[in-house]
Amino acid sequence: MKATLEAINKMQADGVIGNYAIGGAVGATFYLAPAATVDLDLFVTVPGDTGLLVNLAPIYEYLKSRGGVEQDEYIVVKEWPVQFLTPANALQKEAVSQAVSTSVEGIPTRVISAEHLVAIALETGRAKDHTRILQFVEQGAIDREKLKDVLERHGLSAKWRGFEQRFLKGPQ
Amino acid sequence: MSKPKLQARLAALSFTEKIKILERLRDRELAIAAAGLRRKAAKESGDVKGSPK
Repeated sequence: MKATLEAINKMQADGVIGNYAIGGAVGATFYLAPAATVDLDLFVTVPGDTGLLVNLAPIYEYLKSRGGVEQDEYIVVKEWPVQFLTPANALQKEAVSQAVSTSVEGIPTRVISAEHLVAIALETGRAKDHTRILQFVEQGAIDREKLKDVLERHGLSAKWRGFEQRFLKGPQ
Repeated sequence: MSKPKLQARLAALSFTEKIKILERLRDRELAIAAAGLRRKAAKESGDVKGSPK
């Protein structure tokens, strides 16, 4: 991971990507007990992005010219398959801009906040996203007030109430 | 150690330590997946250990 993050940081320094933040299972691991995953989800902003169609080709070309290998929806960067995701809505854009700074083996990086990870998982809504939300709740890894604020601002309060009703409160 | 206690202990590790665990878990998953593929290929070619040819 150290070498992968060094490559990503170099790509950022070279102006190929703007801000970035780790999401997905690796991002969740910043807050929770580690859970197996084989890929790294990276939310990136792209310089010159007008919000319509975002072209990821410069990222792929940059990395491929430095040894990266395309593999399905990933590009393998120094052993880690990386999936580049551009923020698709206001929630994801905020998640990248408000990400938490940290480091791995001394290499600086940024991770999406616990509350934004939960909100994105709620919005995505697959079974594995629900499982992850439950892990955040059960391990006490979220600030409830901050989460409430994020959910309200992004129109996810009703969805959260449905999630609570279904998974956290049990049958009435 | 109970599962919640173990989870709390793991969650309290540094990000660097957690990433090292993730990498071990990833390597294990990939090894298991590769072994599955090897078994499948061997089965398809009739070359399965202990099975009649």
